[in-house]
Amino acid sequence: MKIKSALILIAVGFASLEARADRLVIKGSDTLGAKLVPQLAEQFKAQHPGTTFDIAAEGSTTGIAAIIDGTAEIGMSSRRAKPAEVSAATGKGKNLKPTIVAYDGIAVIVNSANPIKGLTKKQVEQIFTGEVSDWSAVGGSGGKISIYTRNTSSGTYSDFKEMAMKKRDYAGSSQKMAGNEQIAAEVGKNPNGVGYVGMAYVKASGVKAMPVDGVTPSAQSVQQHSYAYWRPTFYYTNGEPSGLAKQFLDFTIAPAGQKIVAQVGFVPIK
Amino acid sequence: MSILRAQDAGALLDLLVKKQLITDQEAEEVRAELTKEVSTTSAGKWKLSNPITEIELYGDARLRYEYRAGRTDDLQPLGAPGAGVAGHRDWQERERERYRLRLGLRITLADDWFAGVRLETSTSPRSTNVTFGDDSGVNGPFSKDSDRISVGQAYLGYKGFHDITLTAGRMPQPLITTLMTWDGDINPEGLAEQWKHTFNFEFGGGTTESAAGYSKEGGKGGAIAQSSSEPFKLKIDVFANFAQFVYDDSNPENPLGARSTTSANTGNPQLVPNTDAFMLAWQVGARFTFPKNIYAQIAPTLYNYTGNGDTFNVHYVGGSETLPNGGTSGSLATNQTGINSLLVFDMPWEIGWKLGELPMRIFGDFAVNFEGDDRALAAGHPGKGDQRYAYQIGVGVGQLKAKRDWQINVFWQHTEQYSLDPNLVDSDLFDSRVNMEGVAVQAGYMLSDAVTFNITYGYGWRSDSSLGTGGTGDIGINPLDEYQIFQADLNVKF
Repeated sequence: MKIKSALILIAVGFASLEARADRLVIKGSDTLGAKLVPQLAEQFKAQHPGTTFDIAAEGSTTGIAAIIDGTAEIGMSSRRAKPAEVSAATGKGKNLKPTIVAYDGIAVIVNSANPIKGLTKKQVEQIFTGEVSDWSAVGGSGGKISIYTRNTSSGTYSDFKEMAMKKRDYAGSSQKMAGNEQIAAEVGKNPNGVGYVGMAYVKASGVKAMPVDGVTPSAQSVQQHSYAYWRPTFYYTNGEPSGLAKQFLDFTIAPAGQKIVAQVGFVPIK
Repeated sequence: MSILRAQDAGALLDLLVKKQLITDQEAEEVRAELTKEVSTTSAGKWKLSNPITEIELYGDARLRYEYRAGRTDDLQPLGAPGAGVAGHRDWQERERERYRLRLGLRITLADDWFAGVRLETSTSPRSTNVTFGDDSGVNGPFSKDSDRISVGQAYLGYKGFHDITLTAGRMPQPLITTLMTWDGDINPEGLAEQWKHTFNFEFGGGTTESAAGYSKEGGKGGAIAQSSSEPFKLKIDVFANFAQFVYDDSNPENPLGARSTTSANTGNPQLVPNTDAFMLAWQVGARFTFPKNIYAQIAPTLYNYTGNGDTFNVHYVGGSETLPNGGTSGSLATNQTGINSLLVFDMPWEIGWKLGELPMRIFGDFAVNFEGDDRALAAGHPGKGDQRYAYQIGVGVGQLKAKRDWQINVFWQHTEQYSLDPNLVDSDLFDSRVNMEGVAVQAGYMLSDAVTFNITYGYGWRSDSSLGTGGTGDIGINPLDEYQIFQADLNVKF
């Protein structure tokens, strides 16, 4: 009787392990995790019945940290891993491997009622560092500029600081938002608002994307790297991915996945 | 692999992608590998906060042998000479083996801010030396009691205004000075404002036309050259340095109950001063750089003091030839440090040129205390107000910049009893004293780009034999009738 019970327990154990193997934990970037990855997951699940996803989109920093801590199989990131993160991963015997899954452009958005037609890179830097505080200083019709940025755990926050602000600090008056949608919503409500979002969010109501140095953020300008604030977005894995993580990554960069990438508003890698 | 190389490789990867020789994904994989390699290097393990745009670690270490000796005069009244009691023409001699360590960071911050910190051995404001074995009686041989680290510099500043540098804190000397007026080890505390602007002029350079140009950036504004002859170029750096140093903090400014009194100044009870003492400095000057490495620099400066503080408020006396050395009633006990009646005009200057490839210079300093009469009167020598001048003049050959470089400086210095602040003058060459004159020789040779061997010799004597030699030095004699110092240093600078 005891032997029979043990066998049943072992069988149940294998069954639960098998069930856990069909569950993929993905953490990280809000830019990727709010729209793109959930849609990819839905499509993937349709092709792989029984697969479940646990997606947490709380910023790129959390995605890379999850790979280092071993709490996720895939870390979504809209920025490259920082040297400190790479060092921390090495210290824990992990190998942060990036795979580009899509391109993105960080679009500078203003309220659609704002008459301004475009900005230079210098003006973008001046606006977000607080060096200029009125729209009249950058060719607008006047009004105190309201700046909306992502929060500090966001990859977009640090990417934009590096690409557009020469790593200078954001203006003290800037308001930090949890995600792209919140920024777009605030700028859409505020005639003097300015912010930045991933390209997937430029179609939000009440906002318009600014050409920068005469180049509009578009699939073409990002793919050709002619738009100033283009960037790759990544899945980070611990070394070469395997199992379900590899299947999902392969699906993402395959034509079917890249089609979804384009549909959501990102720029395909091919 | 250094961080710099990794960054270079990043730029190379971008170029390879742009030329479509590799894909973005391949570039990312290489970039990740480079970052991983860098993170395992020593430099890669340093973590700096984002506002820091540049950080410089620097410092030096020095080993020194020093012989220092002073002699009493042959006139002062003496007790019966004995152990520890000075006799006539009696030498006190000290030999010390010493070291110093200074370790600093210069930090450039975002938005034109900067900061700095330097840790130093010794608690003395005018010395960073620690004497080997001087505390062996405290905790056995090789005790570390005197081997303490102090904060030598801690300052922050702003360079956001064109040509202007503002500094606050305990800072490197912001003024142009010489050893006659300021010991080189002093890091003053307070505020400093520095302005410097460079003017560039060109004269001549043409066969028939001579046009003068001026450009803030050193360009050839307006010059029209018609021939191959070299124009005469003149560069003028005009500067102004202002400082407000907190010389002595009085504490408390408002004491409980009645203020205490002292009779140290006049013999009659006076209220003890309760205001902070500030030293104010105004310096304007210029450096002229002519063709063929000829230059001249002059930096007139005015110093004065406000308030009294609670440490330096007793009238300066500076010792007395009529009192014996030693003991509480001796001339050493008369006040050596008072900062009353000091309004000092100081003018350091230097002229340099090259003889072939050999740098040469003459240099000097002149100072006068406009309140010398008052200072002498307060010291009990109303007829000695003329003892208000100080000067230094010297010649130098060579320079110390790279391995096998050498340099020799020889100068004469004369400082009168009421001319300068004795709390600031160099602590070595004339034992922190005024009313001294003599000669000093400094020679150096660079054994490597980082290591220098220096020798210093100074010989001085009392200038006015009817006065003491004001200042608190290492030799326990006042008046200090004759003085010698020899130092041999091995410096490592990094």
